[in-house]
Amino acid sequence: MADRHIICFGNDLHGDDGFGGRIYAQLSQLMWPKDVELFNAGIAGLNALRFLEECRQVILVDALANFGSVGEVFLLRPDDLADRPEQLTGHGLGLPYLLEALKVIRDPLPDILIVGVEIAAVSSFSPGLSDKTEQAVAKTVHLIRGLFSE
Amino acid sequence: MTRRTIQIDLNRVEGDLDFQLELEDNKVVDARCIGSLYRGFEQILMGRKPKDSLVITPRICGICGTAQLNAAVLALEHIGRIPVPPAAIRIRNLCLMAETVQSDLRQSFMFFTADFCHSKYINRPFYEKARAAFLPFKGWVHRGALEHSRHMVEIIALFGGQWPHSSYMLPGGVTTPASSRHIIDSLSILNKLTRWFEQTVIGTDLESWLALQSADEFFTWLTAKDAHADSAIGMFTLISRDIGLQHVGFGTPHMISYGAYDDPDDAGAFSPQRKHLFRAGFLNGDTGNIEPFEQAEITEHVRYSWFQPYPGGRHPFQGQTIPDYQPHSDRYTWCKAPRYQNKVVQTGPLADALIDGEPLISSLHQAEGGNAWLRQLARLRRTARLLHKMRETLHELAAHPNDPHMISPGKEEIPDGEGFGLVTAARGALGHWVQITDGAISRYQVVTPTAWNASPKDSEGRRGHWESSLLGLTVEDPDDPVEIGHIIRSHDPCLVCTVHVLDTGKRITVWP
Repeated sequence: MADRHIICFGNDLHGDDGFGGRIYAQLSQLMWPKDVELFNAGIAGLNALRFLEECRQVILVDALANFGSVGEVFLLRPDDLADRPEQLTGHGLGLPYLLEALKVIRDPLPDILIVGVEIAAVSSFSPGLSDKTEQAVAKTVHLIRGLFSE
Repeated sequence: MTRRTIQIDLNRVEGDLDFQLELEDNKVVDARCIGSLYRGFEQILMGRKPKDSLVITPRICGICGTAQLNAAVLALEHIGRIPVPPAAIRIRNLCLMAETVQSDLRQSFMFFTADFCHSKYINRPFYEKARAAFLPFKGWVHRGALEHSRHMVEIIALFGGQWPHSSYMLPGGVTTPASSRHIIDSLSILNKLTRWFEQTVIGTDLESWLALQSADEFFTWLTAKDAHADSAIGMFTLISRDIGLQHVGFGTPHMISYGAYDDPDDAGAFSPQRKHLFRAGFLNGDTGNIEPFEQAEITEHVRYSWFQPYPGGRHPFQGQTIPDYQPHSDRYTWCKAPRYQNKVVQTGPLADALIDGEPLISSLHQAEGGNAWLRQLARLRRTARLLHKMRETLHELAAHPNDPHMISPGKEEIPDGEGFGLVTAARGALGHWVQITDGAISRYQVVTPTAWNASPKDSEGRRGHWESSLLGLTVEDPDDPVEIGHIIRSHDPCLVCTVHVLDTGKRITVWP
């Protein structure tokens, strides 16, 4: 049973907001251990809770805003977001909302890591990543690969 | 006299909506509801094979995709005069009800009641109790609604393979029969939610709650036991009325309902002549009479919309959706302005209940009119009725285990012609109007519930329902207008509501 989940968030139509989808596409090209499963949550909002059930470890992949320099890749834990509920770029109500909801339905929580990149801009209906965000893709894939290799 | 403009962004799943309000001495004197996102589904569907609508239109919305699918399939069945077996109607109804129940519970207890925890009410006697119940992720009602509502749409996944955006309804039926396993699994999900609803939301059993028939009976029930007053619906009512929500948010008195859920016992009739389990109609706010509903009376205006202009209103079969963005004109939205009999109307659970003749909501409406509290109560009343009806539907399916779930239309293609599909989605009247020429879609017009309610001014300058429901409202603190949040949320716009004050650039989050 795949009990390590990698869940990517974002809207491919809105510029750098498509970072999660881009990472999902890259990760899908790789071979993974049997206990790892990939999900492209898109803009699922609360419906993404389903992907957080029946797993012991989770990596959430999303775009970040106001965390650092554009293109910088971060590895965070849920507590690191606690004081900045509005700071993620947010899809619907955003990852902090989703994580709060998860606390209601799961006890104990799975081990959660958040991998994100500081993006340049969310551009409405402009598919494709900016150069600096695109440059962070390989580094992000490498980071996730290292976290869930075996 | 001081005048200021505030802008409220409603971050919606269906598309972005803003409100722009003009305040004079803290009173709302003008309101403009702005659809800020162009969708273009009508263009996407042009030239495609008719049955493509069954895959594309459920993507219109992440909340009401089942309703979109149902409207799309009914329109195709109308064109092809395609019969549907009773079992398929029951499965469609069951899934549509499940979607509505989830939406109504989330709207009520994850969004509407959260406003009672606003710091404005810190000195009110109800404040601590409200926080204990309704505070997001902490309150016992909020937590229960989150936990129990999410399982409801698993019923759709059982029959449709997935939720949201499923495509299991086809002309002539549905893709999967109701196996005994599906029925038992669905009953299990339904029973769990019903039990939570009885214990937490109404503080009594479903039958007793549904037996309440009048305003007097309701208010007597409310104070008869602590369990009633302390139930979620009890607290919601007492707090709403304490802060005066029974006196605000009326909007237009005219209402429409397309009727809800095709009657499986009338499966022999073709859509749209088939009877409904809950009646269709037009509540004429001038006379108080409920008149027969006639879809030919629907028109859409674009005078204040960013679409290529045409005079007056057009029926959806003559409608056009050609974007024409004019940001510096007096046009202000990507929404059209639907009208019925050339009147501004509202749609949603309040309209549905009144037109169906639901006794409790009708009695309360007669006593106090269509206010913000009653609109929200009607939504929760509907939940109780649907939980009851879903159980009935599942037992009917179980009683006819080998009934067909599909009558093959025979012909592979939908013939040329025109048709419409009208359903009741969680937010009200939803319609698809389709014309097929030379085997391809030549016109597709979708009129959503939110298009009715959030409509802009029409070609005669009359404001839409949401706009008019805010006029005259006094806002204590324009920098933190929680009063507006109550009314807007009673209309079920869902999700986050933030406020931008243009003159200072200050941004305020109303929710939670």
